[in-house]
Amino acid sequence: MASDTIRSSAGAGGAAGLRRLLLDNGALTALIVLVIALSALSGDFLTTDNLLNIGVQAAVTAILAFGVTFVIVAAGIDLSVGSVAALSATVLAWSATDAGVPVALAVVLAVATGTVCGVVNGFLVSYGKLPPFIATLAMLSVARGLSLVVSQGSPIALPESVSHLGDTLGGWLPVPVLVMAVMGLITAFVLGRTYIGRSMYAIGGNEEASRLSGLRVKKQKIAIYALSGLFAAAAGIVLASRLSSAQPQAAQGYELDAIAAVVIGGASLAGGTGKASGTLIGALILAVLRNGLNLLSVSAFWQQVVIGVVIALAVLLDTVRRRAGATPVGAGGGGGRSRRAGTYLLAAVVAVAVVGATSLLHGGSSTAAQRKIGLSLSTLNNPFFVQIRAGAEAEARERGVDLTVTDAQNDASRQANQLQNFTSEGLASIVVNPVDSDAAGPAVRAANEAGIPVVGVDRGVNKAETAALVASDNVEGGVLGARALAERLGGRGTIVVLQGQAGTSASRERGAGFAEGLKAYPGITVVARQPADFDRTKGLDVMSNLLQAHPGIDGVFAENDEMALGAIRALGTKAGTLVQVVGFDGTPDGLQAVADGTLYASVAQQPRELGRIAVENALRAADGGKLSATVKVPVKVVTKENAAGFGG
Amino acid sequence: MSDPDELLRIEGIRKTFPGVVALDGVDFALRRGEVHVLLGENGAGKSTLIKMLSGAHTPDAGRILVDGEEVRIDGAHDSERLGIATIHQEFNLVPDLSVAENIYLGRQPRRFGMVDRKRMEADAGDLLARVGVDVSPRTPVRELGIARMQMVEIAKALSHDTRVLVMDEPTAVLTTGEVEKLFAIVRQLRADGVGVVFITHHLEEIAALGDRVTVIRDGRTVGQVPASTGEDDLVRLMVGRSIEQQYPRERGDAGAALLTVEGLTRDGVFHDVGFEVRAGEVVGIAGLVGAGRTEVARAVFGADPYDSGSVRAGGASVRRHDVNAAMAAGIGLVPEDRKGQGLVLDASVQDNLGLVTLRGATRAGLVDLRRQREAAERIAGRLGVRMAGLGQQVRTLSGGNQQKVVIGKWLLADARVLILDEPTRGIDVGAKVEIYQLINELTAAGAAVLMISSDLPEVLGMSDRVLVMAHGRIAGELPAGEATQDAVMALAVSNPLTTETEATRGQ
Repeated sequence: MASDTIRSSAGAGGAAGLRRLLLDNGALTALIVLVIALSALSGDFLTTDNLLNIGVQAAVTAILAFGVTFVIVAAGIDLSVGSVAALSATVLAWSATDAGVPVALAVVLAVATGTVCGVVNGFLVSYGKLPPFIATLAMLSVARGLSLVVSQGSPIALPESVSHLGDTLGGWLPVPVLVMAVMGLITAFVLGRTYIGRSMYAIGGNEEASRLSGLRVKKQKIAIYALSGLFAAAAGIVLASRLSSAQPQAAQGYELDAIAAVVIGGASLAGGTGKASGTLIGALILAVLRNGLNLLSVSAFWQQVVIGVVIALAVLLDTVRRRAGATPVGAGGGGGRSRRAGTYLLAAVVAVAVVGATSLLHGGSSTAAQRKIGLSLSTLNNPFFVQIRAGAEAEARERGVDLTVTDAQNDASRQANQLQNFTSEGLASIVVNPVDSDAAGPAVRAANEAGIPVVGVDRGVNKAETAALVASDNVEGGVLGARALAERLGGRGTIVVLQGQAGTSASRERGAGFAEGLKAYPGITVVARQPADFDRTKGLDVMSNLLQAHPGIDGVFAENDEMALGAIRALGTKAGTLVQVVGFDGTPDGLQAVADGTLYASVAQQPRELGRIAVENALRAADGGKLSATVKVPVKVVTKENAAGFGG
Repeated sequence: MSDPDELLRIEGIRKTFPGVVALDGVDFALRRGEVHVLLGENGAGKSTLIKMLSGAHTPDAGRILVDGEEVRIDGAHDSERLGIATIHQEFNLVPDLSVAENIYLGRQPRRFGMVDRKRMEADAGDLLARVGVDVSPRTPVRELGIARMQMVEIAKALSHDTRVLVMDEPTAVLTTGEVEKLFAIVRQLRADGVGVVFITHHLEEIAALGDRVTVIRDGRTVGQVPASTGEDDLVRLMVGRSIEQQYPRERGDAGAALLTVEGLTRDGVFHDVGFEVRAGEVVGIAGLVGAGRTEVARAVFGADPYDSGSVRAGGASVRRHDVNAAMAAGIGLVPEDRKGQGLVLDASVQDNLGLVTLRGATRAGLVDLRRQREAAERIAGRLGVRMAGLGQQVRTLSGGNQQKVVIGKWLLADARVLILDEPTRGIDVGAKVEIYQLINELTAAGAAVLMISSDLPEVLGMSDRVLVMAHGRIAGELPAGEATQDAVMALAVSNPLTTETEATRGQ
């Protein structure tokens, strides 16, 4: 602050002022470098529509980050904002639909929920003397759990009136952008002008000195965390209204994005510094980057690498800039000049790195003649979806079209962003594998309005028009799985079920099908149903725990192969001998286990086929061809007998 | 340079920071086996100079010669190689590591890739014996008192084969007995041929320990004199004028009691402490470090709880352990640890001055920033805070100016009872006198001042009454006329429990 004042008194208008603004604000420089680089690389980037898209995509992170800014300025940390946002959204949807509360009141309830979470955080930190990291980590878990409890694990569709919050105003200004701007102004106002804002800087700078100067530090902290919770609730409402549905699993990991945005914006985790404008810039950098990487068709895996590198470089730029500001500029200014040159050099390195990386990773450079289609996958953290991608890519190569694949990392809101980016790119058609069928609705509707046909794969899209749905029949698969396991056990025995991620349609449908199929076998008892999130490690852990409680089980049904393989690890030599395991999906690893005899059966989908057929349908839809509404790709129980003949 | 005994020579060093010229032509020379005192007001450039020697700063112009050869000191590594060690006011010790680990931090003796604990502790033991401190090398540093921590720092310096030892105000935090011990060690080092650069604000220490004195003023060397030079002459060199009176206390008539403390007790810390401070009066609290003075001050202010007793200010009783209640009663505290407890170092002068009055300047949650600014401007002008502007970070101010900011925030809040805990620690002579003048102004305006200080001449010179604490109790009270150094020290080292019983018996 001191150096700013000194320099500004010496400064002189216009160009010099701009240069100083950039030098004083590393994050802003980084943002501008990014925007210039991306405009040069992609013709679709610098359009009004796309910039508004970026605004919408930044909104949730930015609003969360504004709240976190308060906490970080006061030398705390809030890890719970993502979960609190999800909880608030769930409360909103639940009270407006299931509980039948008027929408306005439901919004108030949602905001109150967030605020209460914040107050609890603040109370634990102030009076419970818990480190903020731990207090808010606990809240992260509690709020996430409560949102699953309230929603029963399933997404809740929002009433129409709330969904309007995700629409546009006057046909062009998206409401989330407006909310973000208003929240940003409120943040700047609170930090700069209010008693609590000034207290945040004092407490963050030196808590003991603030206390001895009569600031009621404990009460202030409660208010600070409450503000963070309130902002998280606002972010949750925006998030849910964008997706037209409240997802209990929404905003996972957003707290880290929010913290990153605050720090990129120039705040110190040690407290005492930070500004609303900086936080906004930080959130925009993240959104611009994600948007740009989508537009440039950078491989989904490399995107994460690039994002990490840019975050580090952005903060590095700011640190170098600050060091240059803190050390001598005086006298000859020789040292200052060389340091300033260092800053420019670093900025140049950032620019070259971004441009280089993106153009290098720019998958299969597109010639104008080639048609482009997009494939938005829910996740690539699972061999099943990797197989879908492989099938889709093979088909695209054969047909000579340019296929862009994005990875939503099981985050409905991220998927909405990616679909939005596809739409603004003007692709010929889009294949979507929704994270959640309800939540994908608004983004798919937007694509429909832009005249882009959308084909669903593996999971359908609700409340929007899809040209076709290419899917395996999960319910049927569940029935088949139940039959296979029950027959193998001779219609008698105790079994456990490893469920997929709570709230996903695959888990619901497979579970329902399995229960349905099991009705024919009254001798089979299900002694436990526990979620293991479709994850192999969790499958191992959950199975180990269940074995403690039920050592004598005869069978396991896992809603996917990954969990089945984890369960097999836990069972050890019992697998395939004393305990029969049935999985789902027919992934290469799963089929290998079937061949080895540890996995009795896998209800195999044919993911490569799903991907191939989806692309085929998408191309036909782009040509205006006729499609049948659902294309069923058969599922098949694979056991040792027929495993050899099954390629996956 | 012809002098073969010369270890270190500094010629025409210049250093600028944004907006300030910190050093502008400083010359300095150090011989083998001498104690060379570096004297100057705070902000004169002493700290910047020694940071050049430790490698924290590099000079913009000028030369540093070691053994007659020009060297460049670009970091702690270079200074270590040249045999230069610095003991800063803030110690570089890791509290939770043992004494031995601290001494050999980063270069622990190793055996088969593992730390050779046995050898490390034996070597550390030798070093500790050399500095004459009786502490096990395995003791965690956290458990040591400040004086012993300093000895560990010295032992650490010696472990580097140090030839030049720079000590930045080592006596500021020590009690009289500890100072004597330190002097004995420094004399021993001098006899061993180490060159010692010694920074102090206590002029009487110069004659006791020093050989030569270099005086720095406003970033320039203004003179090099023998240590036997009279104090008046030294002060004149240092501040560029002669200071008429070191303790300009103007005593007036005491009014009504503004602060009454009765039977204040926290088990194991302080017991049955009672006193009152009247309007227009300065009451000093003397005593050894650890006698419980700071603890009492904090309890009175509500910063810490107490078990029994009462505090009344202006007739009304003040709620226990409630800073805001104490403030509402007109009590203000200038804490002992200026940087740790008094200031938000990275915030501006304006923000710091407005901290106490922040709530008062708030209407409906909004801070009246203009009023805050005007008030800060007014008080900074009145106190003569030397700064580039109200927006300057407090961290970059000199110690004296920082202290003025701490006092200033209480002046803005119209505190009627000001508790000053070590108000002039680490502050130069010129700024000290300014603070004494301020105390005079306050009492003349009817405020009451309670002043804790380990600087005995200061307590005697500025107080109207002196309370002496020992072992958590008030060992006695002396009116200004009867308070002499001997009388205060006699009480400070007494055991009040036995004195008390004797006194009772005497009656």
